[in-house]
Amino acid sequence: MNPAPLPRSGLWQQVLTRPQGALALGLLGFLYLCALFAPFLAPYGPGDQDLQKTYHPPTGLTWTREGLAVRLYENADPTQALYRPIPGKSAAVHWLPPGYPYRLFGLFPCRRHLFGVEPRHKIYLLGSDSTGRDVFSRLLYGAQISLSIGLIGITISLGVGLIAGGLAGYFGGWFDSLIMRSTELLMAIPGLYLLLALRGAFASQFGSGEVYLLIVVILSFLGWSGAARVIRGLTLSLRAQTFVEAAIVTGLSPWRILWRHLLPNLASYLLVAAALSIPGYILGAAALSFLGIGIQEPAASWGLILAQAQEMKVFMCNFWWLLTPGAAVFVTVAAFNLLGDTLRDVIDPHFRTGGR
Amino acid sequence: MGLKRSIRLLPLLLAAVLGLATLSCSRPARVGERPSFPIPQEADVSHAQPGKRGGVFVEVSPGEPSTFNWLVAEDASSASFLGLLFDGLTSYNPIREEVVPALAKSWEIGADSRTFTFHLREGLAWSDGVPLTADDVLFTFRCVYDPRFPNRNAYDLSVNGKPFLVEKLDRQTVRIRTPEIFAPFLRYMSGVSIMPKHLLQGAYEDGTLLRAWSIFTAQKTPAAIASSGAFRLHSYRPGQLILLDANPRYWRIDRERRRLPYIDYLIVKFVKDQNASVVAFASGQTDADTIPPDDVGWVRRGEGIHHYTVHDRGPSTASTFLWFNQNPGHDKSGKPFVSPYKLRWFQDRRFRQAVSYGIDREGMVQGILFGRGQPLWGPESPANSKWFNPRIRQYPFDPGRAEQLLAEAGFHRRPDGALEDAEGHPVSFTLLTNQENPLRTAMATVFQQNMKALGIEARLQFLDFGALVTKISDSFDYEACLLGLTGGGDPADGMSVFVSKGRLHQWYPSEPQPATPWEARIDSLMLAQLTTLDETLRKRYWDEVQQILSEELPYIYLVTPDIYAGLRDKWRNVQIPKIGSVVWNLEEVWTP
Repeated sequence: MNPAPLPRSGLWQQVLTRPQGALALGLLGFLYLCALFAPFLAPYGPGDQDLQKTYHPPTGLTWTREGLAVRLYENADPTQALYRPIPGKSAAVHWLPPGYPYRLFGLFPCRRHLFGVEPRHKIYLLGSDSTGRDVFSRLLYGAQISLSIGLIGITISLGVGLIAGGLAGYFGGWFDSLIMRSTELLMAIPGLYLLLALRGAFASQFGSGEVYLLIVVILSFLGWSGAARVIRGLTLSLRAQTFVEAAIVTGLSPWRILWRHLLPNLASYLLVAAALSIPGYILGAAALSFLGIGIQEPAASWGLILAQAQEMKVFMCNFWWLLTPGAAVFVTVAAFNLLGDTLRDVIDPHFRTGGR
Repeated sequence: MGLKRSIRLLPLLLAAVLGLATLSCSRPARVGERPSFPIPQEADVSHAQPGKRGGVFVEVSPGEPSTFNWLVAEDASSASFLGLLFDGLTSYNPIREEVVPALAKSWEIGADSRTFTFHLREGLAWSDGVPLTADDVLFTFRCVYDPRFPNRNAYDLSVNGKPFLVEKLDRQTVRIRTPEIFAPFLRYMSGVSIMPKHLLQGAYEDGTLLRAWSIFTAQKTPAAIASSGAFRLHSYRPGQLILLDANPRYWRIDRERRRLPYIDYLIVKFVKDQNASVVAFASGQTDADTIPPDDVGWVRRGEGIHHYTVHDRGPSTASTFLWFNQNPGHDKSGKPFVSPYKLRWFQDRRFRQAVSYGIDREGMVQGILFGRGQPLWGPESPANSKWFNPRIRQYPFDPGRAEQLLAEAGFHRRPDGALEDAEGHPVSFTLLTNQENPLRTAMATVFQQNMKALGIEARLQFLDFGALVTKISDSFDYEACLLGLTGGGDPADGMSVFVSKGRLHQWYPSEPQPATPWEARIDSLMLAQLTTLDETLRKRYWDEVQQILSEELPYIYLVTPDIYAGLRDKWRNVQIPKIGSVVWNLEEVWTP
């Protein structure tokens, strides 16, 4: 049998038995579910505006005879976006009301949303932004982009890294030095400037979403060098192990050896590396949007919502709800780091014993 | 928190300024001690309330000057510094909205309306003591028209490519003849900074004039730049500030025969962006600033703490508008700039009118500008009361009317709500705007929603300004664009925008022939207003141009924000005009 040191289910069970692992997995599961069901959970579309209710504070919730209800507000001073609740006035929250049409998972046409209020009122769980769009809805739609970008990025960069590093470590020789010199070349390219240039070059041909995806793809093609070097090192040391030599002696093809004998031993490293590098992509994506070179209005991403909070009036008039994407980024990044740490704790002893 | 911190910052700043003044060079060592030179015999007497000398006025500038040479200055920052340092023969008073004497004490207009005889003030001198005479005026025009020194003024100061004829009659008298009647002549003369012959003659002769008086001159030898205005250059620290001090040989005095300006120093600090500039004002670090409409609310809260007032100046002259590309041309490979079926929509007046009815301008004002703005229907904002035509066609938000117009033009809705034209093309276009301006991007998203309600798909594309300009004025491969302009001048400023040959005639630049009868009519009206000095006649022509534009809507105007000026309370003699800089009369401003 091939030496698979980690039965997959055992690994996740071990992660789940540790409190921080369970917490991280729970949080991430919750966040990704939110992103997946964003159109269903969001009461409004990401671009739906209400110019009469800009910078509306989060609507308070009350309990009335009809059940849960939101308080109604009047615009006390439009020049400062100052809203006051109207005492005794509220609008009942409806469950599963029909709303704007959407496609769940991009497939199933649907009109129902989890909750909503009478169309002439608004429910702003996290307030509204400069054109009266619901920050809560935008946060959910933004999660689709901000959370998926990490997965796409890491898949490409670890995938390329694994292939290049694994082959380099296994075959060695001129192939090894070719791969390693090219990683060094790639590492020397300054990422931010390349990004600005790419953004400028593609901006006029593609929409903002496409450019953004393109940038992430290109960035991860550039970002594989770090992973490739580590994987090469690991493969080199694994290749000297007796079980690999035994496999070679039995006449297995290099591909089979790579696939059946080396990859399972690298899996643990890959898992940890993935969990620990995804936050980098999420932060990077948020930073790009914040700088205005990521995804653009009216699409939603966490960095883009945060970019609105750059204006002085957001601080001076205390529109704190525009900072909630920052909290979301924080929670996501913390959860991924926690998960990565836990994974490493679980895997490390295995790795050592598996080698000997 | 920002407010508290600044209380400690202010004395520090003042100390830094005073330190700078004493350290840097051999100029007057103590603030307030100015050398006294004889007052010109024909000095201009200010009617403002006489004040007290002394004080430092602190302003901010969003950009740094690129030159101190009037001939090559093309950007707004350089122009604003040159305006403080140099005067012209005439000057424009924004309160009275008329041209007033400056270096020239008076002028006569010949019977042919083309000959202007200017009489310079007796006893004028440059800040280094050399007399300012008709020779300097002559020298200035010679520099402008010299083919060795290509500059944009040569274009502005000519009619149909023919230059003005400038002659010196005597030491104090200059006669200028325009080749044809040129309506904005006197106003344009206020922008012609007279240059000192005695300092620039050498550079003129050896052909290096365009490189003279660069920002390096200003850094190394600021004293080499002699000025004729209220201030002279004291020092320039790139990235930090420009320090100007009072010109001891200035030609204006107050009623008590004391020489202006009252303030000793003017400090202009450079800030990164508008946020930084507003914060600097709101924390008491600067004396005057323009406050964006959406920041007025919180800036007003600091009025009591830092003793400033935010003044409402009413609607601004800035306009935001969008237009559809109506250019029927094609690129080198033969591909049309705009697909023919889309061009047909864009060239249809009813389509443009329907779009205009479909835009919620009131909503934009309420939502984006916090209620501090006005809908705009034509090129002239109500702020420019002299030229504004209130009787033009307006397009209040009326989706029903828009639908009706679209139906008339042959558009109809598909079952899924999307609009399509008679041939079944779904109505969609891409709107460009520049990404640096948050107000514009917000308006673009509102526009997108408004169009969605009509079944029109408006895609947005935000580009950086350079890329945008290439598209709209060079490659022409775009469908619609949203941009803004600061107006507030004379109708003659709109020649290149509204005349069909104009390069800034954005919806179809540089038309070989007027494409439509109404464009031909605008051409003749614009030419008519340019070649008469009769202001009522000019107003009538310009009114009709505005009328036609509002009917045909080549530009669909959106909104103009109200403009607010923040000013420290300690300054006297400040008159805030409706248009232009807040403290346009800095030489008369004083503090008790």
